[in-house]
Amino acid sequence: MDLTVKNYKNIYYPPGGILIWIIIFLELITFGMALIAMVFYGKDEPEIFHQSRLLLNTAYGAINTLFLITSGFFMAESLHYFKKGNVQKSIWFLKLTMLGGLLFLGLKSLEYYDKIEAGLTLSYNTFFSFYWMLTLFHVIHVLVGLVILCTVYLSLRKKQHQVNLEDFEAGAAFWHMCDLIWLLLFPIIYLIF
Amino acid sequence: MNLKILFALLGLTFITAVLASQKLLIHYTIEIIIILSILKFYGVVFYFMELKEAHLFWKTSIFIFTFLFAIITVIMI
Repeated sequence: MDLTVKNYKNIYYPPGGILIWIIIFLELITFGMALIAMVFYGKDEPEIFHQSRLLLNTAYGAINTLFLITSGFFMAESLHYFKKGNVQKSIWFLKLTMLGGLLFLGLKSLEYYDKIEAGLTLSYNTFFSFYWMLTLFHVIHVLVGLVILCTVYLSLRKKQHQVNLEDFEAGAAFWHMCDLIWLLLFPIIYLIF
Repeated sequence: MNLKILFALLGLTFITAVLASQKLLIHYTIEIIIILSILKFYGVVFYFMELKEAHLFWKTSIFIFTFLFAIITVIMI
């Protein structure tokens, strides 16, 4: 198990490594531009966007925010204990992190089911086109994040000596990125129109 | 420290939800919601992701991104 801590003050070694941060910035810019495009189209059709926004369940969005934020906290704790060499606690917090992700996906599925039942699909109007594209793209990221966390979890359980800190940090950074994207999506899609 | 940040983030989420439900009663609600979201963003990125320990370049890049996102959104809304 490699627990060598890099000097984060070095520009080439942000926590998790430079490559994951390049990905994070590209993702944030992509989602950011799509959300700005949504706001732009919302200006053309303010009444449609307002009425459509009212069809969303804000409580689902707020609860999902709580799930992701709490899951992010567990991820940070898992990494903290990994750095201290306490693998058992790290594994325990990693399980809680994944549970948070699964709860998010469960509630999102319920929300999608409601929308499909009500006929509010991708082609319903411009607002719902953005809603489906942005939230589904985010869900894909959460799924990929869960696969990464599962891989880290299995490695920690079976091959502890093969897990190094930078890989763990990169996985954690990807998971936090899902959180960051949701923190941008939630107010724009669920609240402001 | 992370536990304090978690409670702060949960509190901000609660305030955002309450504000959104009283949208017509308070001026600048949209601006406040965007600012609160950016604060939550900073909580995650600087504490959970430990970017506060990183080189100034990465911190500045995050500030530039959030500033541009917030400004463009508020201007366009």
